[in-house]
Amino acid sequence: MRPLLASLLLLQAFSVGVVHAKQQLLEVVVAEPYLEMHSGPGRGYPVVYVVGRDEVVQVLYSRTEWYKVRAPRGQEGWVRRAELALTKLANGDPAPIPPYPEFATHRWEIGAGYGVFNHQNLVTTWGDFGLTDSLDVELVLQQALGNIDNRYIASVGMRHTFIPEWRWFSPTAGIGTGYQYIDNKVPPAPLQTHNELAYVSLGARGFITRRFMWRADWRKYVIFTNQNQNEEPEEWKFGLAVFF
Amino acid sequence: MEIRLSGILLAAALLSGCGWFHRGDKRPQPVVAEEQSTEPSIVEPQVNRREVKTPKIKAKDFELGGYFGALSIQDFGVNPVYGVRAAYHVSEDIFLEGFLARSKAGTTSLEDVFPEITVVSNSGRQFTYYDLDVGYNVLPGEIFLGRGRAFNSALYVTFGMGDVHFADKDQFALNFGAGERLLITDWLAMHLDVRDHVFETDLTGRTKNVHNIEAILGLTAFY
Repeated sequence: MRPLLASLLLLQAFSVGVVHAKQQLLEVVVAEPYLEMHSGPGRGYPVVYVVGRDEVVQVLYSRTEWYKVRAPRGQEGWVRRAELALTKLANGDPAPIPPYPEFATHRWEIGAGYGVFNHQNLVTTWGDFGLTDSLDVELVLQQALGNIDNRYIASVGMRHTFIPEWRWFSPTAGIGTGYQYIDNKVPPAPLQTHNELAYVSLGARGFITRRFMWRADWRKYVIFTNQNQNEEPEEWKFGLAVFF
Repeated sequence: MEIRLSGILLAAALLSGCGWFHRGDKRPQPVVAEEQSTEPSIVEPQVNRREVKTPKIKAKDFELGGYFGALSIQDFGVNPVYGVRAAYHVSEDIFLEGFLARSKAGTTSLEDVFPEITVVSNSGRQFTYYDLDVGYNVLPGEIFLGRGRAFNSALYVTFGMGDVHFADKDQFALNFGAGERLLITDWLAMHLDVRDHVFETDLTGRTKNVHNIEAILGLTAFY
């Protein structure tokens, strides 16, 4: 037991302290001539403290592209991502400030938007997982609000992005299946309130900034009914999404 | 000669066999400063080798909280409203926000004057809405309290759409508004918002757009 304790103490004494034992905070060494700390996480907030070269700062947490840090003498402030990325670890390696996900190769995405489904206003939300850079699985939950009825549509499908490396505009096409529920507003009641459906879609996506993107989509549905004819409504929508 | 050769071969086979067994465990070779074979250097490097585990930085981009306030339901008086809100801050300027709230409508002037008339049933007076918004921090800044205290704040505008469930019907509603976010600490924020929910209805006889303005006070925490 004693040698273990002794070795632990020795280890503690020797380590310069990359990892804070209790709070597990990242500690980085300023490698540029100085590091500016702002009073808030925004470009307009004034610089309230400056940390000199070779001093160690603790990184507490981040908010958007800003990081809250603590200087050696306890002062706290916000540092811009690009400036914190120039710091180093105690062993000289560059500080592990994660870059923003690359738009062309991102995996996860969640978004919401507005659309028109068969002349009805449409509120749409979606989640998206990229199997590859160009092939996604999308899960879409939406509500179409009309004067006659109110529809809830859930669908799952595959989407292909034709040229994912085109940042600002990249065409997409998809296919999928789903389910709709009709909440009737005015009589007569529909013959069927629960239907299965399938769709094909054409669309486009593009990068806006950081982890922000847009998506536009046109869909043609086939809603399977137990009557002689299936319903074939169209839908278009536009939305904003965040990718990870 | 043959015996010696086979002996050598056997030894080689055994050695390689031993080597085979040790292939799996890659025992790290102790890093030792090499013996000074040619010229002795003046400074002996004393490198303290250790495993560096870098802790992850926690991102606090999500905001979650509740609010209450007064909602003016057009033709149905001003009523208390309470709800929950969640936001994701995309950049220092842009955030996405969702609201979910409920209120209960009062009576119209018509119903007050003629108590026998009912415009909306009792269950239909439930006013529930959800909104999906985009927000923009227009005027970020600091608010000073006396000489020694400053709170970060932002005046923001929001715009979005959602569903209003009122009079037992769901209506598509647009909403827009402005608000002030005051950060009491870096993780706790107070909000003061004024928002308008606009939707089309024919409840009072003719089809018209109704404006339902709310003033709300909220408290949120950043995660």
